[in-house]
Amino acid sequence: MTKPEAMISFSDEGTTEPVAPGAEPPRSPSPVRAALVARAPLLFLVALLAVAIMVTPEFGTAANVKAILANAAIIGIVAVGTTFITLSGNMVSLAVSQSGMLAAVVFLSCVGHGWNQVLAVVVVIALLVAVGIAQGGLVAAGLNPIVVTLAAGAIVLGVVAQLTGGSTITSHGADIGWIASTPLGIPLSVYVFAAVTGLATVLTGKTVLGRRLTLLGANRSSADFSGLPIARTTIWAFVLLSVGIALAGILVGGGLLSANLDTLNTLSIDVAAAVLVGGTAIQGGDGSPLRSAVGACVIATANNVMLLNGFSLGVRQVGSGLTVLIVVVMLALQRGRTVR
Amino acid sequence: MKRLTPKLGRLLPYAGPATVLIAVWIAVVISTPSLRGESGGYVIALNFELVGLVAVGVAITMVAGELDLSVGSMAAVGGVVAIKVSNAGLVPAVLAATLAGTLVGTLQGYLIARLKINSLVFTIGTLIVLRGVAYVIARNEPLPLSNFGAADILLQRWWFLTAGSIVALAVFVVLGVFMSSTRFGREVRALGGGRTEAEAAGVRTDRAIVLAFAISATCAGLAGGLASFKDGSAVPWAYPDLLLSGVAAALIGGIALAGGRGTVWNVAIGVAILGLLSGALTAHGAQDSLSQLFTGALLLIIATAELGGRRLRARRLMRDRSFGLAAEPDA
Repeated sequence: MTKPEAMISFSDEGTTEPVAPGAEPPRSPSPVRAALVARAPLLFLVALLAVAIMVTPEFGTAANVKAILANAAIIGIVAVGTTFITLSGNMVSLAVSQSGMLAAVVFLSCVGHGWNQVLAVVVVIALLVAVGIAQGGLVAAGLNPIVVTLAAGAIVLGVVAQLTGGSTITSHGADIGWIASTPLGIPLSVYVFAAVTGLATVLTGKTVLGRRLTLLGANRSSADFSGLPIARTTIWAFVLLSVGIALAGILVGGGLLSANLDTLNTLSIDVAAAVLVGGTAIQGGDGSPLRSAVGACVIATANNVMLLNGFSLGVRQVGSGLTVLIVVVMLALQRGRTVR
Repeated sequence: MKRLTPKLGRLLPYAGPATVLIAVWIAVVISTPSLRGESGGYVIALNFELVGLVAVGVAITMVAGELDLSVGSMAAVGGVVAIKVSNAGLVPAVLAATLAGTLVGTLQGYLIARLKINSLVFTIGTLIVLRGVAYVIARNEPLPLSNFGAADILLQRWWFLTAGSIVALAVFVVLGVFMSSTRFGREVRALGGGRTEAEAAGVRTDRAIVLAFAISATCAGLAGGLASFKDGSAVPWAYPDLLLSGVAAALIGGIALAGGRGTVWNVAIGVAILGLLSGALTAHGAQDSLSQLFTGALLLIIATAELGGRRLRARRLMRDRSFGLAAEPDA
């Protein structure tokens, strides 16, 4: 089947909704109201959490807030990285769990063998970036990102399983206590989370690469026609995500002092949930790292509140899944309204 | 290129995957003496029981131009549902798991169709929710099957077939006829071929989407129910890799992720290829993760080859039509 109009089509996935920012109708009532409507899902969640927090007295204790932040940090660092993929129109990565596990295992085995720790960090980042470039290259060539990352995750897991024989890797007493340290009473991972979010926000808003990523996701064909380097931009998105995953893996591996094949095995889904709850459009072109960071905090807080109220693991999962669904549905309804 | 007769032309889409299947079979027969003869058929049949059922369901959502990521969790729910009501006997319990899938899938499809949500996004949400539901039903622990007698028939083997694989093959045949010879099936295919065109042609797109997701979750529920009876227990954290296997089988068999192309027979070939591969790896004493590695690698190779083929055809088309109107053909 050949469609001549395919050359000027806005979306290549066959979805009916144009996602170009210019597609909004001119008759918007007031900017304040529009801004409120756009943030309705997030406001709804914040309100929901406020109620939940009020009925949970233990919530406000310093130890608990620290626990939430530490949980949000790992998901958040990777969610911020994933935002680049999502913004560029490549949805989410399903290889995040396995890549994070790879980072943790490689880092621990490097320092366990007495390597210089800075060198170990550099090696892990370089390795993860290489894995990311391989995936980004395939996606840039035109393969579906979900398929590529699904396959990449299986390959990474298989390779690590072969190399470690499924055993647990420990730090062998290497002095990596700094990773679990809490300068000024706040876990190191939270500082990294804040720094990563800040850098990513600047990168998205103020640099050429950031604008390219957004344009690529907003409208692939017009990005192509305006001569944007699509392949390079796509690969950059995967590189940035890989750096995030490497940092998260090092923080988790270094914090726990051990890692095995099951380390971080829920990360892919948690990160996808955080990005979706944050409200970054999965079709690309609309979103920000900050939103994903907030999404990670919302997910971590919701989990914590449910934990404090004695909800079982299953109920907590249902809770965070429903949170994702509610936000996704609200966003869809909202977009339907602006398109109509 | 010479024009083929219509009958041969219809077989053409199976040529690539079938060649891969034959090549893999030859490699397996040479490398693994224990899988010569009917044992080869047996490992293929085993793969149909779980992976095959899930793959055919996922493939139908892919043909519709969508993707159901929640099948692994749905199979886990099917598993715990079946064991939970296992005292009613094998058939009622598996039926309950299947119906649970139908219910979930219909609701999911309805919401995706009505709200016009990207199915990837929505099914990431349901993937989390359903996993939680499995935990809640099982009260966070493995559920053992108490009446072992009920599962006996699933463990028997006739020639190279098992009861589970016969059920799975029956599902393949029913879905094959359904997709090729009924109005509903054609609507699902038309939807994936081009949504705007399908709507213009009067296809009820909402109904087609609901149908695709209902089929997908039904198959996953059935697969989970059968597998948990056969294993003698259900764990709520079961099947984390089922999505990969299902999607891989569909794509390796020749289903296009962009939608509109492929039949259940493509899926059958893909399931057979993966069955032989994992059977051979197991025979050589490899761990499960190695078979995942091979599945992932094969998936990437096939997807790349398919993309290359598509590019080549597009270039040829551009050259043939010098007026250059042809953009990328829709696979």
